[in-house]
Amino acid sequence: MDSLLRSAAAGIGFATVAFVSFAQQTAPTPTPAAQPPAAAVAPAAPPAAPAPAPSWQQGRSAEQQSSPLHPFAPILTGRPASELQVDKLKVPPGFKVEVWVDGVPEARSLTLGDNGTVFVGNRNLKDVYAIVDRGGKREVKKILKGLNSPNGVVFNKGTLFVAERGRITRYDGIESSLDNPPAAKVVIDNLDPTAQPGHFWKYLAMGPDGKLYFNIGAPGNIVLPTYTQATIMRVDPATGVLERVAEGVRNSVGFDWHPKTKQLWFTNHARDWVSDDLPQDTLHRVSAKAMNFGYPFCHQGDFPDPEFGKSRSCKEFDAPAAKLGPHIAPLGMRFYTGTMFPAEYRDNIFIAMHGSWNKSTKIGYNVMRVALDGKGNVAKMEPFLEGFLTDAKADPPMWGRPVDVLVMRDGALLVSDDYNGIIYRVSYKK
Amino acid sequence: MGAAAKAVALLCLSATAFAAEVGAIEQKAALCAACHGPQGNSAIPANPSLAGQPKQFITTQLVMFREGNRKDPQMSAIAAGLTNADINEFGAYFAAQQPIPPPPSAMDAANVAASQKLAEQYNCVVCHGAALKGTQHIPRLAGQQRVYLAEQLRGFKASTRFDMDGNMTSAAQPLTASDIELLAEYLAALR
Repeated sequence: MDSLLRSAAAGIGFATVAFVSFAQQTAPTPTPAAQPPAAAVAPAAPPAAPAPAPSWQQGRSAEQQSSPLHPFAPILTGRPASELQVDKLKVPPGFKVEVWVDGVPEARSLTLGDNGTVFVGNRNLKDVYAIVDRGGKREVKKILKGLNSPNGVVFNKGTLFVAERGRITRYDGIESSLDNPPAAKVVIDNLDPTAQPGHFWKYLAMGPDGKLYFNIGAPGNIVLPTYTQATIMRVDPATGVLERVAEGVRNSVGFDWHPKTKQLWFTNHARDWVSDDLPQDTLHRVSAKAMNFGYPFCHQGDFPDPEFGKSRSCKEFDAPAAKLGPHIAPLGMRFYTGTMFPAEYRDNIFIAMHGSWNKSTKIGYNVMRVALDGKGNVAKMEPFLEGFLTDAKADPPMWGRPVDVLVMRDGALLVSDDYNGIIYRVSYKK
Repeated sequence: MGAAAKAVALLCLSATAFAAEVGAIEQKAALCAACHGPQGNSAIPANPSLAGQPKQFITTQLVMFREGNRKDPQMSAIAAGLTNADINEFGAYFAAQQPIPPPPSAMDAANVAASQKLAEQYNCVVCHGAALKGTQHIPRLAGQQRVYLAEQLRGFKASTRFDMDGNMTSAAQPLTASDIELLAEYLAALR
């Protein structure tokens, strides 16, 4: 059966639904004969559904149609930290984790202003928040309203850039006018011309080349993308010129540049509904122009897609730098450039793992530390902040979900949690 | 918005402001009773019961009304003035109320069996739970007003009912008019 009474609203978290699919939809069941009204017998199989399944269901096999697995929706009002077991959070010896601020609904992407303001985006709401730290007392201000999924935020040289679904805008001089923000100036528009559901909320970062980097994800779980989809793109804010940086990227919602090599690294979400353990989500390094990381033909560098990979080879594509775990949902990542943490943390990568849903035993829901060796290869990966996952078999399995990480000027690490609308601070003291 | 709806909205708004001063959630929630019944047990066929709904379902819907994603002449106006703290309070309050068991079903045994089969066949139970009592952001269907349920299902089928990610719109497509009537009557009588 094609359509399912799955979570009525599941996906607030996955608000993006339909899909533009050249791929198989779940096979519609044959249309039965007309049913008698109020029949005293169960009707036969229903007719094929004209409305498509939500994108997170797309690509399911017939046997998976009644799977209880579903995405978890964030609590859109947020929850006060006082109601939560934040003392259950764990960090390595010498480190300390505390609530930095609560009351930031669906806190997702983080960026830091020149004067210390932290700007916060979200995906299912329409606002951008600013958090002003006044001597340890933090004030949460809603500074922008009425935006379309303002997930991406990046601050650079006095300007806040915001990536909505369809456009990127700039707010110049905003840090000195938080209570009366300037009007949006458009950097680039029409990034979402079809307004179709899909992975079209954006992560946004400023490259060392002064260009704005962002993702345009795939329009469904496993479908053939168009030329601009399943990519990382960049736009020059001075000229508006748009370029494709990497392709074959199903959806990346986190990237950063290596502090020494200046190469772009990014996280990527692999497809769902193959199995609990395949394929794995990945970490990638962009070391050349026009790299293609395989979607929808090859996942994790060595796993041909059961459908799209039949007549292709993984050898055609660029391999990931590391496999991170099946369905673990890596989101924001940052190289650690601070000096507060011990020296061995320098230039490590922190990755926020939003946590799996498309897997019967859940994993993730933590911040991982990834150390690279001298050649820039992944040498070690270990949990850094954990304790959000309470019961890997429960629904929901967690009480919080990390989304983005941000290195502060004092070297502390902020971690956003969209499930609760909380930002945590991890610090270190010898 | 009709004059009556406007009046209700205004009444609820001014009363909400009053209750906020008084501060007690019972008093705030009493204003919802005009439409949703005492303790959220609706006696009006077109209006949903809120008693025993999952907290996250109540809060999510109120946010969506406030933000203009879901629209209703009365609820949009009422939700427009609510803070997140208000919404959390309403969610907790209604989730904690006992649903009044509906009167025994007037359906004959064959139709009950047929409806039960429909709820499984259309995978209602996969998300709303085996007892159809909802979880997290997914609503309780058991004991809900029949007329309200049928209206929502028709709205989903017609793609006119607000739907956060298209799940229910998609799920409702294969439902026939008689499926909807059967399901609504069956769900309304569930305890």
